[in-house]
Amino acid sequence: MNAISLENVSKFFGNVRAVDDLTVLVPTGSIYGFLGPNGAGKTTTIRMIMNIIRPDKGKISIFGDGSIEQVKARIGYMPEERGLYRKMTVRKVLSYFGALKGVTASELAKRVPSLLKQIDLISWADKKVEELSRGMHQKLQFAVTVINNPDLLILDEPFSGLDPLNLDLLKTIILQMRDQGKTIIFSTHAMHEAEELCDFILLINRGKPVIDGKLDQIRSQYRSNAVSVELEGDAGFIETLPIVAGIHTHGRRLEIKLTDGGDPQQLLRALLEHVPVLVFEVKVPSLHEIFVSLVGADNAQVS
Amino acid sequence: MHKFLKVAQREYLETVKTKVFIFSLLMAPLIVCGIIFFVSRTSLDKIGPRPPIKVAVSDLTNQLTAELESRFGEYSSLNPNRQIQLRMLETEQDTSRKLSDWAKTEVREKRFDIYIVLEDSILDGPGQMQFYTCGLKPAEIDMPWTIENLINTAVVNRRCQLQEFSPQLLEKLRRRVPSKHAELSTAGDTENIKSPGQRVMGMMVPFFFMYLMFLGIVVTGQQMMTSVIEEKSSRVIEVLLSAISPFELMAGKILGLVGMGLTVMGIWVAAAYGAARWQGLDIEVTASLLIYFGIYYLLGFLFFSALLAGIGSICNSLQEAQTLMGPISLIFVLPLISWFNLVRNPQGVFARVLSFIPPLTPMVMVLRLSADSNVALVEIIASILVLIAAVVLAIWVAAKVFRTGILMYGKRPGLWEVLRWLRQS
Repeated sequence: MNAISLENVSKFFGNVRAVDDLTVLVPTGSIYGFLGPNGAGKTTTIRMIMNIIRPDKGKISIFGDGSIEQVKARIGYMPEERGLYRKMTVRKVLSYFGALKGVTASELAKRVPSLLKQIDLISWADKKVEELSRGMHQKLQFAVTVINNPDLLILDEPFSGLDPLNLDLLKTIILQMRDQGKTIIFSTHAMHEAEELCDFILLINRGKPVIDGKLDQIRSQYRSNAVSVELEGDAGFIETLPIVAGIHTHGRRLEIKLTDGGDPQQLLRALLEHVPVLVFEVKVPSLHEIFVSLVGADNAQVS
Repeated sequence: MHKFLKVAQREYLETVKTKVFIFSLLMAPLIVCGIIFFVSRTSLDKIGPRPPIKVAVSDLTNQLTAELESRFGEYSSLNPNRQIQLRMLETEQDTSRKLSDWAKTEVREKRFDIYIVLEDSILDGPGQMQFYTCGLKPAEIDMPWTIENLINTAVVNRRCQLQEFSPQLLEKLRRRVPSKHAELSTAGDTENIKSPGQRVMGMMVPFFFMYLMFLGIVVTGQQMMTSVIEEKSSRVIEVLLSAISPFELMAGKILGLVGMGLTVMGIWVAAAYGAARWQGLDIEVTASLLIYFGIYYLLGFLFFSALLAGIGSICNSLQEAQTLMGPISLIFVLPLISWFNLVRNPQGVFARVLSFIPPLTPMVMVLRLSADSNVALVEIIASILVLIAAVVLAIWVAAKVFRTGILMYGKRPGLWEVLRWLRQS
């Protein structure tokens, strides 16, 4: 079952096609990454899912065919632009947003302290939000997002500006929630974070989907068919192997390009027959490389 | 509890706690009490002594010296803090010009405060008294008027003497007839004796009610705009919209601030009533007036706060919003500056027309109702209906503008763009 489905969704701002005929299905229980450079249409897509802006064309459904207004209580949304009431206390902010998302008062009385403990802010519970440091503010923002124990978590650029400790905390919680069967969507322009967490990837550029699918499949699909090895002894025999198309030497390391359909495992067996193998690595392209190869270096101004 | 009630609750509690709110809540009654106290306790006599005024008089009739000296002497002994030093200048016709030049120089050099020439035909012809002053101090600005009265009395007394007529008899003949004003109640047979003070209150109470309405609507309405802009600039708005719809948010905010406004009103009315009782002023307020006040306040506030929610949502900062607010505030000043006309003629065309201009309806109607109990019921109902229609329209417009504007940052949209939003479904 799909937690979210977008069918042929488009959104225009004047003459700019922010999102252009986008179709995405997000399976329940997965982590789905929306990737792309700045201005690709990630935030617009997420805001349309949240019904904060309305699509000009297409259909969006959440949890089957429920409209967003009916299921808001089951969603945790962290916008790219973050903010909380500065004059309220940490505890009150958390309770207020919990109440708005339909959590009962008795449930909140239990959940607020336990969540504050989990993110290590319990000693700040009765301080005003404006007294928090930037890092604490970010943790509280995340707590506000998950206070209703959502089935669907939508995070817009959740990792930007986080210090390493909070980054790890956030990633741990995201993975925990996935293990509990919850669906998580996040957008990022940092490819390595998506590679670390995501099951599925949607790569968009200028409002159009470039790649959409399972991360493993995408990688094998765009495999460069190269192997990197380090050997002990003479490597002259390699060129004579039928599955090898070419060799580049970088000091001790050899980059071996295989012929189309050449199996890296077959190469490994052939190498072991001749010499001891110190390093054997099947080159898997990073998302960054895939993205660059697909949309061109000009477009891919990503970190 | 419904979500928008939670928004209302937060809005109310968080606003009531702010220092600005508490300050403005307390300040208005304190200022009113202060003014009442000050006015009732102070008069000119209690300000303290001031230096004597030096007055030089050229009496060209040469007949008034004795009368003038006795009038001025009498005044100075009655007003020990406001002495007048009178100096009669010896005059002869041929040297008068020279003398007058000298006296004017003395005034310029501040040795005299006022120099007065009484022309010789003053007793039996068109002669005038001429005052010469040079940079009179603000504290003495009323003195020429006082002195004019004293000289007038002296001249009249002298005229009586010339006619061999007793000034005391003249005064007796010119004595004013005292008056008493009784208000008859329409139903019973009671008669309320009204003092002049009560008649002044009869004018002031309508103004007070209108001013209360003005403060209640405008000041608490401002709070709406502040609150919307705060949510927008602190970027909390998108988090909020992930939990509730824009309309729920706006409705909750309006409800919370209506509650806050009623709190303020209640405290102000109680304070004003208390202050009036404390000073022994009897204010007549009927129950129906209070009910109408409540209705008009509620509708007026809904109208204005919806308007401000819309304006607030398209602005990025309070300064920007205040620029837009300028022209709207000007409309509200109209009944404030013309209140005297409205109180004197609550059934006039002007008052009737203003009653049907929605932002002004609550202020003008409350003024008219408290000034004159005979406003036609049809007119009251019609004005309420017009106001309700305006409220519905304002909320419809505000909801559309709010929904789009609240997420727009950067350049403020122009009028045409806002109109385009209204056409969108």
